[in-house]
Order: sequence, then structure tokens, then C-alpha cells
Amino acid sequence: MSNQHPNASAADTRRRQYREYVIRRVAQALLVIALVYTLVFFTLFVLPGDPIENKLTSPLNPLPPSAGEALRAYYHFDLSPIEQFTLTVGRLLHGDLGYSLVSGRAVSDLVAQGFSDTIVLAGVAFVMTIVLSLAIALTAVYAPVRAIRSIAASAPIASISAPSFLIGFVLLAIFSFQLGWVSSVRDQGFVSYVLPALTLALAVNGPLTQVLIQGLRKAADEPFVTVLRAKGTSEVRIALVHVLKNGAIPSITMLALVVGELLAGAVVVEAVFTRTGLGFITFESVRDQDTPVILAVVILISSIYVGINLVTDLVYPVLDPRIVRPGHGRSRRSRLARPAVATAAATGTAVPGGIPTKASVDA
Amino acid sequence: MTRTTRRRARLAAAALVAVSIALTGCSAASASSDADGGSLTYLDAEIPTSAQVQEAGTWQTRALQQNITDRLLYRNAETGELEPWIADSWTVSPDGLTYTFVIRDGVTYSDGTAVDATSVAKNLNWQSTGDEAKGTTPNAQFPPGLVATPDDATSTVTVVLAAPYAPFLNVLTGWGSGLVADATIDASKEEQSKFVNLIGSGPFVVASETYGKEIVLDRREGYAWAPPSSPNQGEAHLASVTVIPVQEDSVRLGTLKSGEADVIRYVQPSEEQGLVDAGYDIVSKTGVGLSNQWFLRSQAPFLDDVDVRKALLHAIDREQIIETQYTDSWTPATSVLSPGTFGYVDESAKFAYDPDAANRLLDGAGWTERDADGYRTKGGERLTVKTYIDVYDNTAKSLFQQIQNQFKDVGIELSLNELDYSTYWATAFADPEVGALRVGWPHPDPSKGLSEYYSKDGSDLLGLAGSDTTLQSLLDAQNAATDDDTRAAILGQIQDHLIDQAYVVPILNDSQVFVTQHRVKGFSLTDGALPEFYNTSIED
Repeated sequence: MSNQHPNASAADTRRRQYREYVIRRVAQALLVIALVYTLVFFTLFVLPGDPIENKLTSPLNPLPPSAGEALRAYYHFDLSPIEQFTLTVGRLLHGDLGYSLVSGRAVSDLVAQGFSDTIVLAGVAFVMTIVLSLAIALTAVYAPVRAIRSIAASAPIASISAPSFLIGFVLLAIFSFQLGWVSSVRDQGFVSYVLPALTLALAVNGPLTQVLIQGLRKAADEPFVTVLRAKGTSEVRIALVHVLKNGAIPSITMLALVVGELLAGAVVVEAVFTRTGLGFITFESVRDQDTPVILAVVILISSIYVGINLVTDLVYPVLDPRIVRPGHGRSRRSRLARPAVATAAATGTAVPGGIPTKASVDA
Repeated sequence: MTRTTRRRARLAAAALVAVSIALTGCSAASASSDADGGSLTYLDAEIPTSAQVQEAGTWQTRALQQNITDRLLYRNAETGELEPWIADSWTVSPDGLTYTFVIRDGVTYSDGTAVDATSVAKNLNWQSTGDEAKGTTPNAQFPPGLVATPDDATSTVTVVLAAPYAPFLNVLTGWGSGLVADATIDASKEEQSKFVNLIGSGPFVVASETYGKEIVLDRREGYAWAPPSSPNQGEAHLASVTVIPVQEDSVRLGTLKSGEADVIRYVQPSEEQGLVDAGYDIVSKTGVGLSNQWFLRSQAPFLDDVDVRKALLHAIDREQIIETQYTDSWTPATSVLSPGTFGYVDESAKFAYDPDAANRLLDGAGWTERDADGYRTKGGERLTVKTYIDVYDNTAKSLFQQIQNQFKDVGIELSLNELDYSTYWATAFADPEVGALRVGWPHPDPSKGLSEYYSKDGSDLLGLAGSDTTLQSLLDAQNAATDDDTRAAILGQIQDHLIDQAYVVPILNDSQVFVTQHRVKGFSLTDGALPEFYNTSIED
């Protein structure tokens, strides 16, 4: 333990670098959200029509000009875009999201209602997606019959090309209309999440499964499998423990993408299953150009996306500290270092968890 | 957690799912067998948005208002006659400026407060002026400058108008004139937007509401003030009505067929016959008011020539449209007003489908050349009429396309353009190139409806700005014509003039179509084609 001191200072440097990295990435994330918000705010001004204008121009209920002015003033639509932006951002900073121009409901209520529903839906769908992907990928790589393997291997393509509204309708037709197991329109608690979540999972798992299949195939051909086999490790253990552990790493980065896909897919799935989650709120607000609701949805969705990316970015250096180091000069070196890591990983011994660390690379 | 408990938890979860599925099955089967009329599940095609009284205008919102609130007067959907409701009787002064309503005794809102003269007067004043501080606009149907004064001792409300307004009594029957309690009027605009805060005296009360998902109406206990002609004079038969908006046509229909829903609003016309054959009942109606029509703007290219406009009137084969795309629930329009509306005159002989007449008119107008595509040209310009496909009607696209084909037969190009929902009004109505757009819906009063569309003081859809003095003075004369015969005569002249000048092309009579399970009895539509659950019951 004589070289404890240099190691400690290296750890300090690493910690400092990581801290700077975290601050930089968080600042970037906040900037992205602010830019998206601003962009959407002014885009909505450029687009023609909004619920208040529609109310005033509709021949169904034409209002006298005086009433129109009062209505515009009530919603501050008589102010310039910049003034409205300042006002809205000021309120936003006080936690006031305003009211829907269409339904008159508090935007915070609408978004809370939508989010609390969609988070459960997306959560269940996320678990289903992982289970589905694992099942399909393991089948595609390890099924004893060649035909079954190739069918499973083509499943991701089918998933990507099958429209989720079609899957949704088929599931509804079977389980609600024919079997009557679950209501097609009423909310019956957790049971009501199963079909829409399955629809989402079926639609979203494609890319993840594809990457997983490739990862497993590649890992299954690595020399360490031969070594394990020679050691007498059972095939099941090789597949489920060693190959899966090594082959699944690339697909972990896909998970962030899956979350995004689940939120986007919710728009269609919630329409088919008559759910009133975030997808529904998004669809309705965009259809009606309900500015306050759109803006709230934009903040929420962009925060989720940016947040997930941020977490990925922050976790990655923990797995691979080379990322933290500023400057491009190092990148070549780390690229050069990789084969050594791969070899180490291939032996299935040197690198814990199969993930290269700075220490192991430098060694 | 040990392995056994985990397995037990898993078994418990599986059992829970199984039980909940079983319960679901039971509840679906027994939902409609409550004693005394039962509970009804109604699937609307759209999301009810705001319950704010002056702003509500969509079909789905009206349907709720209709069943939650009562109005001063009732218009019998069968006879078209005005009947007493919350007003026991009423008188109109000869100059048309003073209306006196005697308010029925013993009526209460669902919060227990009385529907007395004071409350009625407050409602009328509020409807007329709105509430500027709260951002509440006036009800566009109400005359401005109205002053309502209550006298609770005699239970009368005296309404004095600034100028005669003949549509007033009809307006008072409309869905937008429902009487509400002080609690609703005094609430903020945002609170008023919630249906649970719409406190009326109607046969149903809003028990709960989840935005976009479900609104539950419960029977109003002790309801005893239906219009005298109603077969039911007590409480509603149904214990409750669950209103669920389902926007997907196929899901709505599937849910009806699976037995989970009792009544749905709107099916695609192609589905109707199959449903009738399978034992379902179709309930449809054309509400009183304006027919589904295209207005023609004479400032738009080529439409300044009345003969070109007349050619458009004759170029549409309405029977063919109904036959190929619609059902018996729909009928060709026969005027700018729909049949059964006060003052309606059948004008159909003036715009019968007659391609020869259309061709003659266009030849006479100098559109004699044809281009390579078969369209008529004059001075090198093609005879084109621009329109936007109506975004509010599910069948609009195929309807517009069929008219496009029929126009082509006589050498007119109909240029179809599409917009999305939120930009439709602002873009389509502001586009100076637009020659025709679709309007025409039920309206509590035809005079008010026609003025809103075609007067220079309304939306001025024809863009005449009063330059057609005949039309403008006829529209203006309606308000003062508080005598029914005089007003009917004026309405007849307006219909004549709009068709003679070919300002308007009537297309078809707008229908509302509902499908009910055969077990649903007494489900009917109001004069405005809104669903009425008061007389409805479910029989086993």
C-alpha cells in the first residue's frame, strides 16, 4: 500500500472531473429544455388559429367585436408575443401553468391526470418490452429448431412494421368484444393497463430485440464460450448467465430510446383504448392548438427525454471513466486501448462485469 | 423475500387478476338490470369540453346541458309548438319590447336553492351581458341591452329589451339557455368549465366527472317539473347515465355490439343497415335550424356571375349522394332551412339536379371553351371553385369528392383543400380565393341563424357587406316581426332570395344518428336533435 497517495490524488482528480462533467451536462440539459420551450412558444404564434380566435371567427356563435376584445384581453392575447412570453415564463417560474383554452381546466390538473396514467402504462409496457425482447432474442439464438430460430429472428421486423393501432384493435376485438374479459371503454384499474401496455410493448420492442439478438449472437461466438464449455459449464448456464451478461450490454443503451418510443406510442394506443393519459392530452391539445397545455406537455416531455439522456450520460462515465476526460487527444488512445479490453473481456476473467475501467486499461 | 413467499405473492397476483376479470364479467352483465329503469351507458363520439354556459356549443356539450338544465320554454319536437316549462305562462307586449314570464312554483336547483323569479332574472341578465371581469362572453343568441327584473311576490320576471327581438322565445328553448343556480353563475370561469359545477334543475345531476374519460349523471331525486306534454311527469326512469367519450368509431361500435354500451352517437353510414339487421335501433333526426349548405362568395374568382352560381345549384345530384354515401337517416336539403323549422319553405324545385340547365347557364355565361382536362375555360382561365373540406364532419371528405365529380361532369373544377382542425376557421374563412365553404347546423331560431351567417352585422359569410340591400333589409326586418305570420313571410322571402340569387347551395339535411340496444326504450331526440334520457328506460 505504498502507492496509496498517488492513487488517492488520481481518484480526487477523477472525482473533480466528474463533478465538472455533471455540472456541464445538467446545464446543457436545462438549456435544451429552455430552447425547446421558447421555440414551441413562438412557433405557436406563427401558426394560424387558436381556440380563442376560432371562437371569435366561428359562424356558429359569432360574438360582437366588443366581446371579442374582452375575451382576448382576458387571455392576454392583446399583448405582443414578447410580452406574452415574459408573462407566461414569469408565471411558469411561480409554478403556474395556467388554464386550458378549450376546457378551462387547470393545466396542472390535466397534465397530472395524464402523467399519472401514462407513467403506469409506460412502466408496465417497459417491463413487458424487456421480457418480450429477452424471450424473442433467446429463442432466435438458442431455439433447438432452425425454423423457430428464424421466425423469432424476423419478429423485430414484424414489430417495427406492424402499426400499433392495428395490434390494439385486434387485441380489443379478441379480449374485449369477443371474450369480454376486460372493458373496452371503462377503467377497471390495473387490468385495464394490460392490453394497451401489451400493444405498446409489441410495437416498441423491435429495435431493442434486434440489437439484443445481434449482441447474443456475437457473444455466443466469443472464445470465452468455448472456454466455459471446456470447463464443463452447462449450456443453459452459459446462455442465461455468461452470454446474456456480455451480449446484453449494447442493448442497455437502447433502453433510453425505448422510453421515448413508449411515450410517443402512447398517443396512438391511448386513442385506441380510450385512455386519458399524456398521449391523449397531447393529441387533444395539439389538435385544438391549446397553447398552455401544449407548452406544459412540451416541458414535461422534453424534461423526460433530456432527463433520461442525462442519466445515461452521467452513468456512462461511472462505467467508462474515459468519457469524463476533457480534450480530444485522449480519444485516440482509448480507442487504441479497446482491443486490449476486448481481449481481456473475451477471456471472461480480467474485467469485472465485462466493462473496461480506467485502471484495467492503464494496467 | 424467500422463494416460497415470492411464489405465493405471484400466485396471489395471478388470483387477483383472475378474480378481477371474473368480476368484470359479472358487472358487465348486471350493469343494466337495476330496478326502476336501470343504468345506461352512453358513448359519445367526442370529448365534452367546457360546461361554461355561454361558451358551450359542441354537440357533446349540448347533449349534457340538455339533460342537466331546464329552460323557461319547451319546444315540442313533434309539433314544433312552444310549451310552458319553468315559465308557467308568458306574454309579449305589442311593441315586442316587454316580455313577462310567470315562474312555476316549487322548482329547485340540485343544490337546493329555488328556481324563483330572482334566479331567472339573474340568469337572463347574465346571459345577455356575460361577465367581463371573469372573461365570460355574452350568449351570442341573447339580445344585448336586456334588462330582466324579478318580482318574487307574484313570481314574475319582466324582461325589457332595447329593441324588438322576435327570435327571443325560440332562443329561450335552446340548449344554451338552460337555467343555472347562483353557485354556477358566481363561480370563476374556470370553475364553471367543470360539469360538476353546472348546477341546474334538470332531471339529471352530475355525480362525477373525469376529464375526457367519464361523466356520471344521476337521476335528480324529487324531479317533478317536466314540460306538461311529457309522458313522464316524475323522476327520470334511469337511475344513472354514464357518458363515456369514445372517439374511435370502430371501438364505439364494438363496445355496443359486445353489449357493454346501451346507446352510441354516430356510426358510419355504411354500418347502419347491418346494425338494423342485427336488431339494433337507429334513432336519427334532423334538428330544426339551418340545413347543411355551401355559401358562395361573389367576390371569389368567377362567382360574381349569378349564372355561374346557379349552375352550381343545378350541378349537384343530391339523390345520388344520399344513395351512394348515406342512409335513410339522411335526406337531401330542400332549402337553406331544414324541414320542420319555423318559416321553412320548400325551395327544392328551384335547384333540382339538371346538368343540361347547368351547361346552358355556363355556355350563356361565356364558359364555352374546354381545356385538355375537360374543364370549361374563358379567356384562357379555367372555371375553378376553391373550397376547404369541412373538418367537423366525418363524412365530409367523400361528400366533397362526390360533388367534385358531379361538378366535373358540367366542366367545373372544384379545387379541394385540406386543413387541420385548429387552423380551419382562421385559414379557410380568411382565404379570399375561397368560393364555397360548408356551414349549416341546427339552431334554436332560424332568423337568428340566418342573420348570424349572412347579415353584415353577423359573420357576413357571403362577403356582401350589406351591398345586397334586399337581402340585408329582409334580414334586418326579422327582429321587429314579433307577429309569427309576418316573420314567417319574411323568412320565406329570405329563402327565396338566397336561392334565386344562388348565394347558397343547399346540400343535405344535417342528421344526428344514434344507435341503441333493442332493450333501450323511450330514447328520443329533442327538436335540436339532442339525446333526451328523461323518458328513457332499459327493459330486460
